[in-house]
Amino acid sequence: MPLENPFQDPLRFERRIPECAVAIFGANGDLTKRKLLPALYRLAYERRLAPGFAVVGISRTPMSDEQFRASMHDSVAKFLEDSPFDEEVWSAFAQGLYYMPGDIGDPASFTNLAAHLKQIEDCRHTAGNVLFYLSTQPSQYATAAKGIGAAGIAQGKGWRRIVIEKPFGHDLESARALSNELHEVFRESDIYRIDHYLGKETVQNILAFRFGNGIFEPLWDRRYVNSVQITAAESIGVEGRGGYYQEAGALRDMIQNHLLQIMATIAMEPSATFQPDAVRDERAKLLRTVRVMKPDEVLANTVAGQYGPARIGGADVVGFRQEKGVDPESQTDTYAAATFFVDNWRWAGVPFFIRSGKRLPKRVTEIAIQFDAAPHAMFGDNGDEATPNLLILRIQPEEGISLRFLSKRPGAGMKLRPVSMDFNYGSSFGERSPTAYETLLLDAMIGDATLYTRQDMVEASWGAVEPILDVWQNHKFDFPNYDAGTWGPKASDEMLARHGQTWRTP
Amino acid sequence: MSATIQPERVLRELAELWVTLGKESDPSHSSGVLRACTMTLITLVEESEDPSDVWSTMAALMPEHPSRAIVVRFRESASRDLSSRVFSQCWMPFGHRRQICCEQVEISASDASLPDLAPVVLPLAVADLPVIVWCRSPRLFRLPDFPQIDKIAHKLILDSSAFPDPAGILAQIRDGKKVVGDLAWTRLTHVRELISQIFETRDYLARLPGVNQVQVTYGGSVRPTSAYYLAAWILDCLEKAGAHPQLSWVAAAGEPAGRIFGIELAGSADGGLRVNISISGDRERQYAEVQIDSLPTHTAFPPDNDYMLLREELGIPARDAVYERTLARAAELAGEKR
Repeated sequence: MPLENPFQDPLRFERRIPECAVAIFGANGDLTKRKLLPALYRLAYERRLAPGFAVVGISRTPMSDEQFRASMHDSVAKFLEDSPFDEEVWSAFAQGLYYMPGDIGDPASFTNLAAHLKQIEDCRHTAGNVLFYLSTQPSQYATAAKGIGAAGIAQGKGWRRIVIEKPFGHDLESARALSNELHEVFRESDIYRIDHYLGKETVQNILAFRFGNGIFEPLWDRRYVNSVQITAAESIGVEGRGGYYQEAGALRDMIQNHLLQIMATIAMEPSATFQPDAVRDERAKLLRTVRVMKPDEVLANTVAGQYGPARIGGADVVGFRQEKGVDPESQTDTYAAATFFVDNWRWAGVPFFIRSGKRLPKRVTEIAIQFDAAPHAMFGDNGDEATPNLLILRIQPEEGISLRFLSKRPGAGMKLRPVSMDFNYGSSFGERSPTAYETLLLDAMIGDATLYTRQDMVEASWGAVEPILDVWQNHKFDFPNYDAGTWGPKASDEMLARHGQTWRTP
Repeated sequence: MSATIQPERVLRELAELWVTLGKESDPSHSSGVLRACTMTLITLVEESEDPSDVWSTMAALMPEHPSRAIVVRFRESASRDLSSRVFSQCWMPFGHRRQICCEQVEISASDASLPDLAPVVLPLAVADLPVIVWCRSPRLFRLPDFPQIDKIAHKLILDSSAFPDPAGILAQIRDGKKVVGDLAWTRLTHVRELISQIFETRDYLARLPGVNQVQVTYGGSVRPTSAYYLAAWILDCLEKAGAHPQLSWVAAAGEPAGRIFGIELAGSADGGLRVNISISGDRERQYAEVQIDSLPTHTAFPPDNDYMLLREELGIPARDAVYERTLARAAELAGEKR
């Protein structure tokens, strides 16, 4: 048998997905309808899927294959982003969609699934390769994994992998417990913990920017970088998810996973190769060097916030405590900011300011790297000269990179002003970017875990965040402490002021 | 004395264009105009062609391949006149505040002025970026002075399907040793990708060495360069897998000339792999029915208009080893027919 496909043409062909089946638990849920099936359909539209590709949907709702196909047809047509819906492509794709009602708590469901997968393997030539996707409540992850194991389908003729969504535990101990339970059935290399931020094109572009160019990396350390700010702001509130959010909060929901992963991508050392584990090793090493705050340092280096009611654009906006399903005395942080330091040679002494919040003035995620000012003010003090160089990496909504530097104002005299040199990802490359789920599903099916989070990374980030949570849990905050539609609590500005800094206004 | 072009004047006009665009941008937004450039793209067209077709292709290409676009329109004339005009093309990406603009230069030339063209075009090329020449006319490619333009190109793009002698043009491209993008080859990417995808399945890959017949069906009565390319590529790949199949051709005389309508790979009668791909539709939307043993699938290809083809070729400015290997074999197959 040939060892590799002789028809491959990597210069012109996109990455291809080998023959496989995807078993989605929670197939009648929102994530499946809004993200997973549209992403899989799009991969079919782009002709990336193997001819016999199959999906088995599993959820408690009784439904036939035909009803499942009809339901997914409507969802994909509705939620497909930036691309046309083609009935012909859909009808070929839908032939590979199957459904079986089943309850994760019922062992018989897994026995049925095993029979379904065997049948699909025979008729669609999926070679026994299966990706299990748990689009369920996190509390069901361990039960589902154990059910898969007990039914004997965690191993088979081909590869078997499992994908889980965050949160990966609610603290270090529960994260470890979850990993241990998953490891009873799957090897760590077969567990794909999805962090959809890492699937965004521009987060991946950080690696290209840093390690594909020679000119930035020499500046990328404590000698030239003054500070780094990472902002993930949302203009919306909890949007009906008050009950869930009340248990999570901004620190757990955003900083522990997405933003610390972004910080790791910004600050990690270059890996020798672009192999998945080489890149993940460097991210994990960076996360392990994030300085763990002592209890008495927490309140000075972190800020918790909660939005109160306000009037925005002529409309009244309720505060978090007035949201449906939220305790009127809730101590949940809808805003969190922290100053982290990285204890390694490259970053010693450079503060990483991270903030995330709901009901901020606009939706924006960006990283701002502030460089040191010129060592000598040869043009005198003319106002703008003190403006430091900034490199801004925008993740959303307008993905791109900007470099701010000083330029002479036209005319007599030597007056300087800051100007911005911009690279706009969307307009420089007009091609449609794949959605994060397209990228991540494709990677999981190919077996490329570069953009997935590994157990040691999860534990290292909990290690940095848990001491903060411990102090916050025992502290009574005077919430609400910022108005909806503002950039967060005053204490957050004060935290930066203690380092001689101010938050950027994105 | 014939009219000519001063490259310095054209460059000055281009610079003035940017100043004007900057002044025209909305003063309420500090974002202004963004200039983008990744290459110089020189397009050679016949004067008889509708310039709006060419410029609309350029416009579609600019967001993905922002370039200094130079379109040279040739007329059959003994006069050595050259003239130019400079303009820009701007667009506002959806939801953005900043206009993206690209420079465009149109040069009117004649067959007789071809020797004067290279010294004019060379200074207009953007420094340090590749120069791509897209020759849309077989007649221009055949002009004795064409090599003067060709030599400034890092890559030459042409469409061998427009040439009357498939064997001749394939041999000429092969012997030219130039980095070439042939749109007749580019049109095959989707069907090649489809074939490749089939053999990502291990079961099918394992049966590949048993394939002993390859059949290619093409439209019209003259076997087009695309048929030679496709057959050459398939044979090459199968040989790499240890198969040594017989090649046969089917001419679908009633179908539009130059296009591929079917591919069949077949193993021995007992238990051998059988892959049948039938292609239907028009150039705007093509559909492929794939039958692998008893498993049918269906897929749609994007349109293969100039924009889509150029978009792919401009993304590959350097040598393409798979293409060059296939070209050599295709020229050989076409030569056998001669």
